[in-house]
Amino acid sequence: MHKLSRSNRDKVQQFVAITGASEKNALQTLKASDWQLEAAFDVFYSQPQPRSNADVRRLEELYNRYKDQYSDMILADGISVLCTDLQVEPQDIVTLVLSWHMNAATACEFSREEFVGGLQALGVDSIKKLQEKLSFMRSELKDEQKFHEIYNFAFGWAKEKGQKSLALDTAIGMWQLLFAEREWPLVNHWCDFLQDRHNKAISKDTWEQLLEFARTVDPSLSNYDAEGAWPYLIDEFVEYLYDKSVVEK
Amino acid sequence: MSFSQNREPITIEDGFKLIDAAVTKLTRIIEGKPEPPFLPEEYIGNYTIVYNMCIQKPPHDSSGPLYEKYGAILQAYDKLTILPSIMEKHDEYMLREVSRWWEINKIMVRWLSHFFYYLDRYYIARNGIPSLTVVGMTCFRDHVYEKVHFNVKQVVIALIHKEREGQQIDRALLKNVLDLFVQNGMGNMERYEKDFEDFFLTETNSYYSRKASSWIQEDSCPEYMIKAEESLKKEKERVSHYLHSDTEPKLVANVQTNLLVLVAKQLLEKENSGCSALLRDDKTDDLSRMYRLYHAIPEGLEPVAVAFRLHVTAEGNSLIKQAEDAATSGIVEEQVLVRKIIDLHDKYMAYVTDCFQNHTLFHKSLKEAFEIFCNKKVAGSSSAEMLATFCDNLFKKAANDKSNDDSTIESTIDNVVKLLDYISDKDLFAEFYRKKLARRLLFGKFSDDHERSILTKLKGQFGGQFTSKMEGMVTDMQLGKDQQTGFEEYLKNANTGKPKGIDFTVTVLTTGFWPSYKTSDLNLPLEMVNCIESFKAHYEIKTNHRRLMWIYSLGNCNLTARFDAKPIELIVSTYQAAVLCAFNHTERLTYQELIDQLNLSHEDLVRVLHSLSCAKYKFLKKEPASKTISKTDSFEFNSKFTDKMRRIKVPLPPVDDRKKVVEDVDKDRRYAIDASLVRIMKSRKVLPHQQLVSECVEQLSRMFKPDIKMIKKRIEDLITRDYLERDTENPNTFKYVA
Repeated sequence: MHKLSRSNRDKVQQFVAITGASEKNALQTLKASDWQLEAAFDVFYSQPQPRSNADVRRLEELYNRYKDQYSDMILADGISVLCTDLQVEPQDIVTLVLSWHMNAATACEFSREEFVGGLQALGVDSIKKLQEKLSFMRSELKDEQKFHEIYNFAFGWAKEKGQKSLALDTAIGMWQLLFAEREWPLVNHWCDFLQDRHNKAISKDTWEQLLEFARTVDPSLSNYDAEGAWPYLIDEFVEYLYDKSVVEK
Repeated sequence: MSFSQNREPITIEDGFKLIDAAVTKLTRIIEGKPEPPFLPEEYIGNYTIVYNMCIQKPPHDSSGPLYEKYGAILQAYDKLTILPSIMEKHDEYMLREVSRWWEINKIMVRWLSHFFYYLDRYYIARNGIPSLTVVGMTCFRDHVYEKVHFNVKQVVIALIHKEREGQQIDRALLKNVLDLFVQNGMGNMERYEKDFEDFFLTETNSYYSRKASSWIQEDSCPEYMIKAEESLKKEKERVSHYLHSDTEPKLVANVQTNLLVLVAKQLLEKENSGCSALLRDDKTDDLSRMYRLYHAIPEGLEPVAVAFRLHVTAEGNSLIKQAEDAATSGIVEEQVLVRKIIDLHDKYMAYVTDCFQNHTLFHKSLKEAFEIFCNKKVAGSSSAEMLATFCDNLFKKAANDKSNDDSTIESTIDNVVKLLDYISDKDLFAEFYRKKLARRLLFGKFSDDHERSILTKLKGQFGGQFTSKMEGMVTDMQLGKDQQTGFEEYLKNANTGKPKGIDFTVTVLTTGFWPSYKTSDLNLPLEMVNCIESFKAHYEIKTNHRRLMWIYSLGNCNLTARFDAKPIELIVSTYQAAVLCAFNHTERLTYQELIDQLNLSHEDLVRVLHSLSCAKYKFLKKEPASKTISKTDSFEFNSKFTDKMRRIKVPLPPVDDRKKVVEDVDKDRRYAIDASLVRIMKSRKVLPHQQLVSECVEQLSRMFKPDIKMIKKRIEDLITRDYLERDTENPNTFKYVA
């Protein structure tokens, strides 16, 4: 929330006050409506209404099924079980989308609030219903705007708690995963370059700007602006591509 | 004709007859034929005829016809008398005819106007028709001028050409003729311009174009310029003699374009005599001429300034190359190179002030040229470092050799400051200078005046921030002297007495000002420890809240070594003294024992032992007696050592600082860039990337030229640290995060 501008923060407050939705829901709805309050209300009211308390209880039960013995969190084991129940692999990208809906803070753990809130936002209260939603969730990756959000979300989610940057191996893994959904011809070169020349963690700015780069600059680099505000690492990458004659100058 | 009072109307026929007669007489007179002049009665009579004919009552009022008659007379005269005469002649003779008839016509018009004057007063005024004079002029223009001006112009231009080629011509004639052109414009310069000037300028253009082509081939640059100057002079004279003054600017521009502008490149770049050669050979007159000639042309000086800059850059580059070559063959000549650059600067600055009249364009060219080669590296050391070393040597010599008079030192200092202006890595210079200053202040003699003088000058040029640390250092030395006196007082009074008869001087340095030095945990000999303790006690009395950090690596020590032959005083660094004193209690020590006892780092101990046992003076015997120190060596006091000198100074070679200095400066630059970026963003709030970078570069340009890549990295770092963020709409723009 602290990353939002004042006006957007206000909008979230307003939305919550008027609709009674959770802050998370409000955030998602407003984002999806491009921060237009009116449009957001439309979306919200046209969605299936959040369930009554009964449903919350069902969700709580579901939560308790997966939660860890000793702490009030769903941890790696619980997630494993969840995946099995859903009949998906743990490395399946749909788990990322699920985490995004939950606004999960870190990979491989869900808090009670995140789990319950996320499933509510999806409008499901059972494993079966969640399973039915999986194909929808997969399709969200094809939506340009949502992919952007999921991609940016992935950084905070995948990094170690308390670290500011994302470890290189994790980053490469994430990139491979994400760009399988949305093709970028240079992704392998990018990963090679990083392992060859960089060998350090990836900053948030670099992460975010990479998507921008993949989206806007074509693989022959014909519209790459060397004077632009690209992060230093991306400039280096371009030089690397020239050096290795992957692209002609 | 007598003045008649009777009011018989004069008929037109009669009147005209009388007028014709008068006109005939008039023409004979003004054509110089033998004819008695008009008597006053005749003159008045002529006037009266017209007068009477005008005032007669209708149908005899003949103003209109008289007006017509006047015009007819002149027209006839022009067509039948003047024009044929002119057409008969050619060349200069024709000009003379034209000139003569022009004068005659003027007189004719004047006289006739007097006769017909009454028309002017009433008829013409009432009817708003052209006056008699105008009619007269128009007549001539239409019936004579229009017919002959083309040929006249041809002749005039031919004559001018002759004069240009060196022959004498009749200037007065030309002046008259050209005046005619002007007059026939009847109020504006159109006739002069269209019928003469345009052709004249075209002719001039081709004339000088031809001249330029042939001169540029045959003549050297100075010779050419002299000819160009002459030509301009002559053309200006021409204007004053017979051309209309309006022509001057156009003529001058024409000549300049042909002689100077179009050939500028060829002229300036002439081998052996062009701008380069003149500069090299001190041809100040020629250079001044060049300046004069090109200064008069708008934007004419630019090619000259460019040639100047290229030449100076080439000279500078060759000096650099010489130094590089010398360096590769093993001779490092920093002093020489810097001196040469200073001399180069003086030489070319003199040109700028004298020949080029201090023109800003040339100051700029000089600056640009120097900026190019002054920032080149020679044999791995940057110009910043070289300059700092130069200063160091200068001051060391000056302090030792008092015979150097102050004014040369001062002027050299001025030169250094000027040169520093051209170097982009000023902060690098400052850092090297500071390190060397520290050595000068602590280890040698120094002249307070000289040191202060250069600092004042640097402050004036580059601001107080540049010199604040160095000034602090010099002040510390000043204060140090007072402190030492205080310490000695304390020792006298405090009954501890002088520690074991050791003379002990402490210099207290303010940490922020001096370069950072590593401290070491050297175990001092006992005698020295006592000294340290007593100073500590004294200092704590004087000041609280201040921690003393002892830098033994900078100290030096005078020891008396009792060799068998004779005692010799050794002047050594504290480290060396500590090592030597270790042998006070034992004859032999191994490397390992020394390490344990003294607690020095390996690098330091190796250096010290080398200086004492493998260098020129072998105070210690080393076993084995190789040239290098190894950890298994052992050492023994060399009692057999002797030398003819009674005092020996053993220098400890300083560690090569260069890399560290560059690293330190780089680190400081990173902070400076960060600060600058934050400062800019704080005030602008939102700024596109390009602008942010260029403003940052500008802000820092006083101290150094920041690397764009580094700026980019710092921006990213600031984003990570949440000082800045990218605009979500436009990732090329940054926003300040409050």
